[in-house]
Amino acid sequence: MEDFQEQEYEFLRRLEEEKLDRRKLLRRGLVAGAGLTILSMPAGALAARRKALANPPLRGGALSLKEWVAQAKKEGTLNTIALPPDWANYGEIMSTFTKKYGIKISNDNPDGSSAQENQAVRSLKGDPRAPDVLDVSPSFAQAGANEGLYAKFFTKNFAKVPRAMKDGRGFWVADYWGVTSFGVNTAVVSNIPKTWQDLLKPEYKNKVALNGSPLTSGSAQAGVFAAALANGGSLANVGPGIDFFAKLKSAGNFIPVQATPQTIASGQTPITIDWDYLNLAYGKEFPAAKIKTSIPSDGVYGAYYCQAINATGPHPWAARLWQEFLYSDQGQLLWLKGYSHPALFTDMTRRKVVPKALTAALPSAAVYSKVKFASPSQNTKAKETVATDWPKKVGS
Amino acid sequence: MTPRRFIAPSAVLWLLLGAAYFLIPLIATLIFSLRSNQTGTCCTLENYGTIIHDPQFLKTIKTSFILSLETIFLTLVLLVPTVYWVHLKLPRLRSVIGFMALVPFVIPPIILVVGLLDVYKGTPTWFYAEPYGFLVAAYVILAFPYMYFSLDTGFRSIDVHTLTEASQSLGAHWTTTLVRVILPNIKSAALAGSFLTLAIVMGEFTIASLAVFDTFPIYIQYINQNKAYPAASVTLLAFAITWAAMVALLAAGRGRAPAAQGAR
Amino acid sequence: METGRTRRRLPLAYLGVLPFFLYATAFLFWPAAKVMFGAFQDDAGGLTLDHVQKLFDEPYRTAFKNSIEVSLVTAGLGAVFGLLLAYAAIREGTPRFVRAGLTTFSGVAANFAGIPLAAAFIATLGTIGVVTQFMTEQLGFNPYDHGFSVFSKTGIEIVYLYFQIPLMILVIAPAIDGLRREWREAASSLGASSWQFWRHVGIPIMTPSILSAFVLLFGNSFSAYATAYGLTGGSVGLVPITIGFYLSGNVLDDPHLGQALAFGMLVVLALMMLLYIPLQRRASRWSR
Repeated sequence: MEDFQEQEYEFLRRLEEEKLDRRKLLRRGLVAGAGLTILSMPAGALAARRKALANPPLRGGALSLKEWVAQAKKEGTLNTIALPPDWANYGEIMSTFTKKYGIKISNDNPDGSSAQENQAVRSLKGDPRAPDVLDVSPSFAQAGANEGLYAKFFTKNFAKVPRAMKDGRGFWVADYWGVTSFGVNTAVVSNIPKTWQDLLKPEYKNKVALNGSPLTSGSAQAGVFAAALANGGSLANVGPGIDFFAKLKSAGNFIPVQATPQTIASGQTPITIDWDYLNLAYGKEFPAAKIKTSIPSDGVYGAYYCQAINATGPHPWAARLWQEFLYSDQGQLLWLKGYSHPALFTDMTRRKVVPKALTAALPSAAVYSKVKFASPSQNTKAKETVATDWPKKVGS
Repeated sequence: MTPRRFIAPSAVLWLLLGAAYFLIPLIATLIFSLRSNQTGTCCTLENYGTIIHDPQFLKTIKTSFILSLETIFLTLVLLVPTVYWVHLKLPRLRSVIGFMALVPFVIPPIILVVGLLDVYKGTPTWFYAEPYGFLVAAYVILAFPYMYFSLDTGFRSIDVHTLTEASQSLGAHWTTTLVRVILPNIKSAALAGSFLTLAIVMGEFTIASLAVFDTFPIYIQYINQNKAYPAASVTLLAFAITWAAMVALLAAGRGRAPAAQGAR
Repeated sequence: METGRTRRRLPLAYLGVLPFFLYATAFLFWPAAKVMFGAFQDDAGGLTLDHVQKLFDEPYRTAFKNSIEVSLVTAGLGAVFGLLLAYAAIREGTPRFVRAGLTTFSGVAANFAGIPLAAAFIATLGTIGVVTQFMTEQLGFNPYDHGFSVFSKTGIEIVYLYFQIPLMILVIAPAIDGLRREWREAASSLGASSWQFWRHVGIPIMTPSILSAFVLLFGNSFSAYATAYGLTGGSVGLVPITIGFYLSGNVLDDPHLGQALAFGMLVVLALMMLLYIPLQRRASRWSR
């Protein structure tokens, strides 16, 4: 279908370029009609496409990988934003991309938030420093899509991503997900808590912390969701989760400090409630702290982050090549190496392309099978509840 | 009352208490920075090595340092004549400017930068896309309250009218009066303001991050959020480097020994 | 002749401050005005008081209360301790290097904030901090068993002093320089004790500068947020932290509410200035 459309576009464009009289028009029409069969062959189609297209196509599958790389190489650089190298193995993903395709990556503001990413798209429109690709939380992905910040694009493997994890219009697609977990510094705490109820034990006095406030940190908000699931609440009702943290605070177990690698390594926050991929990565990065990750079995909550392409980005071809790379098996396995669950995990498991070593490094699949994700409307409702109730009940 | 030869005992007490309060957290950071990543115990310099061998470290320090010098220069050029003029001729404006000086506090950098980016979006690249243009403009605004209150205090403690009249009665032009009579007298205030400006620029994070520039505080924030022991070492390195810059500023600003030092 | 001169000079005089005002308008007032207008706009572009009305509800009311309280406390204590330290370093008898060292250190410490400062104090006064452990092991007194926690409003105040005191030192030093030795000698030759000198001469002379410095410290503390967030994870509500939640977080997203909060900050600081101006006038009345 697309090929025909492209040929038609090409034909009409050429038509405008020359003044044609009726006879010439008819003759060309015959030639075009006869040539359609010939032009639908790959080689010829390639030549025609290259001349007609100034903008990248809507689908990743429209061109071969070599063509994508050739076009992207002409741009030479990719601007990314807010990608910490230690987050889900982004460091290796970026260096692999650069090594494989020869395209430099300029990663700005590695600690930026989703709001800052969207804001950078707005503020830097038309600037060569504007970010080309974004990795934002779902509510910001939706807001950005509705605002027109993103471009539509369907990678080759778009259809294989679960429906709940992508935007049907093509504006964003989930990249990886993780679940709320406890990261335990076993050099300080020898008894690893296995459930949310365990956290209330008196031996954990002054030892439990979140990664920031649920009003601004996605991971902390997920902690509230998971606690709600474990304490009689649900995805639609996070009140019990907030009450649980209030109980934890009055028991003296909860320290209201933002858990950072420093506090984790020093043992100030020996039990950190954070994403599993972060806690598992800390286990490797801070050998002295002997960090073990445990996923609480009574409340398993997961959330994913979303890939999007800046509609007005300076390097559109490189941006789409980046997405093609991320959703290839190689890219997805690199995310898995970073201890997160990539979007195509189920599909890859079915095709048996996942190395055993990578799955062995993660906690058991049985726990992950219980995971629950919040829908956008549940997310919105939870945000409102947290914004008003958390400062009242857990704040001071 | 004969001039004191030795330090007063109450001074010793306060200085010791002050030293304790300011140095103990730094010492705690130092102890943490000397721990090894493998074993979590003392003592190794590997964390300092990690930071110093990171190319981003040197690159961002250079950028931030140049930004500071530019900001200091621009702020002084803008504010010294203005504050002088206000003290001399327009005392009623003092409270107006004083209030203006509070506005940068009120407008959190996060909102200021969004407004600035919005307003100056179409400006030429040499201003908008360069840290040495856009960022300096924003930093002058951030430094303005500190520089203003410093200069204000300095101008209050000298007799502006007498000095000006004396200088003018000797035939000096305005600029000569400003540069050769007034400036040396408010040197300590201007230096204090410059110190604060230097520290502000070397520590400013929000505006640089939202405007997507690569400065030293952004590097520090990244290390603090992602690494453990090197975070402590980068903190101390930043402290030491900024302190060295201050000492250099002090030495540069000294030149001639300042005149009557008041309570000596 | 004199009057003619002054009358003609007055408009010209304002020309002297023109460059500054132009700069301030371009880079401060215009962006700031956009924000203030934003506080009263709804998503469709019309005017509304909704956002500003919300400020009177919880949790924003508590945030303002906390912010004002922390700022008053740290500005007051910072002013007092800063003055004492600065005087100790500048007064005669103290070696010159002490002043140079204190001044340069203050320059750095005045902007030592954010996560590094929070981390430094966590390493000092946290549950396993250096000082905490020292007190528990050597003095048998664990502050955490007696209700103290550095992860609280008190902790924030203790930590904020780390940049408030140096700021005071830097700003008040020129004023201390202005205290002439001759005045002290004159007072003592008239029989005044040290305390009487300070009460009747020293403090009154310095009050205008102390007031200016207090206002600066208040504003400085009011707008600080990275340190408090690093120290308490946002559990102590402060206005700048709340603004950050709504403008640059990963969860909440409400720019108009953020702008309304900024407008609230402007009101608080305007009130502070309204208190400050008559006080300042009263304090400097003897010198004009």
